[in-house]
Amino acid sequence: MTRALNTPRPARVRLEPARPDGMPAEVNGEAIASLRESWLVEDRWWTAEPLRRRYWELVGEQGRDVVVFHDLCSGRWFVQGP
Amino acid sequence: MVVCVYIPRFELVVAAGDRAKVIRETLAGRALAVAPLAGGDRSRVGQRVGEVSGAAEARGVAAGMALGEALARCPHLVLVPGDPVRVAEAWEAAMRALESIGAAVEPARPGLAYFEAGGLRGLHGTQERTLAAVQRVLGRPVRMGAGPTRFCALACALAASSQRALVLEGEEARRWLAGRPVGLLGFRVQTAALLEPLERLGVRTLGELARLGRAELTDRFGSAGGLAHRLACGEDSPPRARRVEERLEESMAVGDASSGEALKRVLGVLVSRLLARSERRGRTLRAATLSARLIAGGGWRERVVFRQALADPERIWLALSVRLLALPAPATMLELAVERFGPPASEQGALFDETPARRGAHPARLDAHPSARSVRAARLREAVAQMRAVAGQDAALRAVCVDPDSRVPERRVVLAPVPE
Repeated sequence: MTRALNTPRPARVRLEPARPDGMPAEVNGEAIASLRESWLVEDRWWTAEPLRRRYWELVGEQGRDVVVFHDLCSGRWFVQGP
Repeated sequence: MVVCVYIPRFELVVAAGDRAKVIRETLAGRALAVAPLAGGDRSRVGQRVGEVSGAAEARGVAAGMALGEALARCPHLVLVPGDPVRVAEAWEAAMRALESIGAAVEPARPGLAYFEAGGLRGLHGTQERTLAAVQRVLGRPVRMGAGPTRFCALACALAASSQRALVLEGEEARRWLAGRPVGLLGFRVQTAALLEPLERLGVRTLGELARLGRAELTDRFGSAGGLAHRLACGEDSPPRARRVEERLEESMAVGDASSGEALKRVLGVLVSRLLARSERRGRTLRAATLSARLIAGGGWRERVVFRQALADPERIWLALSVRLLALPAPATMLELAVERFGPPASEQGALFDETPARRGAHPARLDAHPSARSVRAARLREAVAQMRAVAGQDAALRAVCVDPDSRVPERRVVLAPVPE
């Protein structure tokens, strides 16, 4: 049975109202210490199911690297990676 | 469209002898339960009853309940000795009957199976005729349900009567599923543990569960929560048909040799007879089932996966004879069946070891040598086959890069089965 690896998992994200850029302040209960990188992915815009994601690579309070993205089509947050 | 076939209290009815008298007793209100397995945990708390009759359920006894608690709730509870051998035989017969009408069956557990009905329309015409064919070949009262997913089909089968199947499709199925109780999650091993906390939280129906949100459930209960939400929303993985292999078995009445060394000699005879069967066609044995009928009634059954595929009677006997120690009582009959075959016995190692290690080569260069590579590949194949025999087809997967430069991470790599 073939299946994709690294599929997105729903994440619980808290935003910092003071930050207008939409950077998460907390991901799955872990506070965010710093931002490493942020990028935008737009794909399949020519289809009926376009893909628009704002990715955030963050470092948690415990030093763990976490990659989350905001699905700009559905408005939901997902975590990706180990 | 997935069809679910559910035979209520299959293990209890088979263990009790499948006789009309027993069924009448069950209907007449006798409280029956499958006795805890002999040879298991001997403490009264550790021993748990198996399937129970409706009358026993009405008195508060449930399958999986500790024996002491079950007897305290229902002092007149009649314990029927469990018979895993007859249950396995009866269930195998039912599976083969379903496969005889063209169904690719996924057996979930004795009494519960799924198959995809779409491909059978060419054989039977309509959905109704397919369900009628199932009823005909099984020859016993069954509950059937059909829905877009396995879980929905299961919910339909549980709600249906044995006279009329319940078939739901599309949006109607999802709406109907929303009103069903969360207790349905107990039929899945992965989600069964959620029942108790969900009840404490006051979540009664699948619709209420679906409204909680997948992210919240995953956050609270982990992957089981996410799966429960998927099931409640009418999503599920498709049925996975079992691998059909020819059955090869040998049995022998043991007479006076009901235990000990004499029984081991009977086992030796069974191994020799099994290996001598022409249907084996020179293949090795990867997994076997050893079963026995007990003098005291009931049966005993043990699945054995060999560390490597074997065709040597001595090694097979050694691996199996150890299991005879677990026999809970003297036996009247011993049976040995091949569950899965390995590669032909002609695929054996070289008579002389030609690896560079034997000739004193540097260990760092071992992998570069063609014979060392082939030995490693053969060992890997063997290990993969063993893992699959024990834990199923998903036990050994490899990561394959399909689009490594994709900007979408989940499109870069997929997990695919390791070729044997």
